[in-house]
Amino acid sequence: MDSTQLLLALSIALFVLGLTGVIIRRNALVMLMCMELMVNAVVLSLVTFAARMASASGAVLALLIFVVAAAEIAIAIPIVLLLVRQRRTLDVGAYSSLKG
Amino acid sequence: MLPLTAIVLLPLIGFLVNGLAGRRLGHRFVSIIGCGLPLLAFAVAVHCCLDLTASLGAARVENLYTWADVDGHQFAIGFWFDRLSAVMTLIVTGVGSAIHVYSTGYMKDDPGYARYFAYLNLFLFFMLLLVLGRSLLVCFVGWEGVGLASYLLIGFWFEDPDKARAGKKAFITNRVGDAGFLLGMFLLYHGLGTLDLDHVQAVFAAGAPAALSGELIALLLFIGATGKSAQIPLHVWLPDAMAGPTPVSALIHAATMVTAGVYLIARLHGIYEHAPLTSELIAAIGLLTALIAATVAVVQTDIKKVLAWSTISQLGYMFLALGVGAYGAAVFHLYTHAFFKACLFLGAGSVIHALGGEQDIRRMGGLARRIPVTFATFAIATAAIAGLPPLAGFFSKDEILWYAFASERGAPLLWAVAAATAALSAFYMFRLLWLTFLTPSRMAAQTAEHVHESPPAMTGVLVLLAAFSVVAGFVALPQFLEPLLPVPAIHAALAGYQTPLLCASVALALAGLAAAVLVYGRGPARAERLAAHFPALHRLLSGGYYVDEFYALTVTRPILWLAARVFLRGGDQRLIDGTLNGLAALFQRAAGRLSRVQAGALQLYVLLAGLGIAACVAWALHDV
Amino acid sequence: MTQMPALYGFCAAALGGAVAMLIARHPMRVALALIATMLSLAGIYALLGVHVIAVFQVLIYVGAVMVFMVYVIMLLDIRDPSFLERYSRLLVPGVLLGALLAAGLGYALAHRYVAAPLYAARADFRVQPFSAEFLRTYWLHFELTSVLLIVAVVAAIAVIQGRGGRNG
Repeated sequence: MDSTQLLLALSIALFVLGLTGVIIRRNALVMLMCMELMVNAVVLSLVTFAARMASASGAVLALLIFVVAAAEIAIAIPIVLLLVRQRRTLDVGAYSSLKG
Repeated sequence: MLPLTAIVLLPLIGFLVNGLAGRRLGHRFVSIIGCGLPLLAFAVAVHCCLDLTASLGAARVENLYTWADVDGHQFAIGFWFDRLSAVMTLIVTGVGSAIHVYSTGYMKDDPGYARYFAYLNLFLFFMLLLVLGRSLLVCFVGWEGVGLASYLLIGFWFEDPDKARAGKKAFITNRVGDAGFLLGMFLLYHGLGTLDLDHVQAVFAAGAPAALSGELIALLLFIGATGKSAQIPLHVWLPDAMAGPTPVSALIHAATMVTAGVYLIARLHGIYEHAPLTSELIAAIGLLTALIAATVAVVQTDIKKVLAWSTISQLGYMFLALGVGAYGAAVFHLYTHAFFKACLFLGAGSVIHALGGEQDIRRMGGLARRIPVTFATFAIATAAIAGLPPLAGFFSKDEILWYAFASERGAPLLWAVAAATAALSAFYMFRLLWLTFLTPSRMAAQTAEHVHESPPAMTGVLVLLAAFSVVAGFVALPQFLEPLLPVPAIHAALAGYQTPLLCASVALALAGLAAAVLVYGRGPARAERLAAHFPALHRLLSGGYYVDEFYALTVTRPILWLAARVFLRGGDQRLIDGTLNGLAALFQRAAGRLSRVQAGALQLYVLLAGLGIAACVAWALHDV
Repeated sequence: MTQMPALYGFCAAALGGAVAMLIARHPMRVALALIATMLSLAGIYALLGVHVIAVFQVLIYVGAVMVFMVYVIMLLDIRDPSFLERYSRLLVPGVLLGALLAAGLGYALAHRYVAAPLYAARADFRVQPFSAEFLRTYWLHFELTSVLLIVAVVAAIAVIQGRGGRNG
């Protein structure tokens, strides 16, 4: 297996682990961090291809993704804070008030 | 100029006006319209009758319009006036108008005054359709209509559930008979292709058509007549029908509606002349009904119930006459019976009115001096029904007895039973007269204080009817009807017995009178001691031979069981409601299950999205 | 590539960090595991020659985002059920889904991958050429992201202060 394939395999693994983490963990902050892991997996895949094809746009895109991720976390954390203020818990199970 | 149509429509107009506007327009207006229109109809009927005699009995036909035209089968609405129609129409409008006038006094204080007169006029309209209809179909419309009017009037005070139930019973029992009528009509139409009475008469006058099952048709039509005219086995509604106002009992259940069956068979005598078996059956049932009703009337204690069973008995006589072929005699008895029975019922109404509502004869007595007009008219009518000469009942009853004895379809046995019944009739009618008027008073104290004679509207009619009960017998009705309703042939050997039988009839009537005075002369005490020796018999008779209970057991209960268990529980509740509720429950449960997807559980959403992604990946790879 | 062992090492580290994220109980340990993963990824980027991105990864992601995360975890140190009970109700379905997805994607990687030389010509991923390229060709994207950042700031203020303003 050459390096590209290895890196792509890693990207898949990280992505899947992140997705699984979102589903199985209870803590809201841990869920957010797993989502960051998923973004990172995607960026890894992007950078791998950028390096392989010697494309500058790939790198630019990676940078933009960083920026967006930062903005996203800047919003997500306050939302979690509000939720915690209301429900007094970080347990995601307690956030749903719909009667299922 | 359509006089027949006018006769029929005048009461209808009365019904519409009084029914729609009567309440707002006050008693006087309702009385004028309600009595005036029938009187007008009577006047027109008299005019038509005079025309008829002037033209020597030529019938008058009026065709109004074609009701239905189906595939070449035409049914028209038209009216027909011949001798028989003349007699019936005069009775219906004449006695009817008199009873209307009587009602203005009797129903004066009733809140449903306008409704009463509307229904009464409606009844007249339907009855006139019945007797004047040219086609059997129009006659049937009238037949059903009088049943409806009867139901409305019996259950007039419908807030009392017993009275409402009596109305329902009358209607349903009639309907059972009507099934027979309808089937007979179908067969007749199928065989002859027409229902016009004049054509039917003409066909049968020439001899029985071979293609027609005459006996069957005759039987089916007789079943219809049984229902309407309260013969065994469909007689059970008439005693209960006394729940209605007394003038209604007089008009509908004595003078007119119950005679519709007699009219039908007399009208279709052609069929019955060629149906000997059915005629035998008719005679037998008529005789049996007469006898049984008379035995029940002997023990009745309600003044109206005595008269009701008496009516059933007299109708039995009319059917006996029809059965032996004496159609004219039957109509003659119908005619005289209308007068004296109406007089008796209205007299009973007057008594009830005088006593403020009391109907039990055990609590009456001593009224002869206190309400003299009522007493006098009641006595005359009683003598008429007992068959004392020269009153009307004597002539008509004697004709029937004679033909029962001597005609080709009659037999001395029939005469014997009929004569015994006549004696019984005299007995129970004089019993009624004595217990009500002539025995010492057994009235409750406050009732006795308020006894008063009825207003002139009521007593005037009583006098009129009593007068007719006296003179009506002298009208030679059978001879008048003879061109239409042939007199039956008589066994030559028996012809000589006519006078002896006449004397026997009178003797029997007097014997009945004597027995009544003997037993009841001083009051009911002696009879009650006598009844104590035969308690079972007394109970059997008082309960009308338990026919009602028998029907309840064999017919009503099974039908109700079927309706409740099979149709209500099984069909309606389980099948229909179950299906609908099941569908609703199905949807509810499905929705419940599906709503768990939308529980606001974030991780569940992600899981489902992930599954979607996995599916997409699988699809993208499927052709690797 | 010459530095294959280093590459293998960094890959292992990244994977280990990710697994540790799923297993650790305390959120702080989860954050530290994530930081380890991110640093390994930065290393991988550097090995690939994309130095700019490697640096930005460390600066932005680790330096800003994860530090923020760590601060929040320190502030919200709530010992609630999510601490004692790490896993949600969907543990088994989630793991199964992960396995399924991994299998599918892995299969695709194994059978659809077309190997080719890594790069035809060595591109220059140093800062200068990168920024020249960035601000010349992708200037619109740059402006849009600025707007995005401002929007994010405004939103963050609105989210916090909006509630506080009304209540207080």
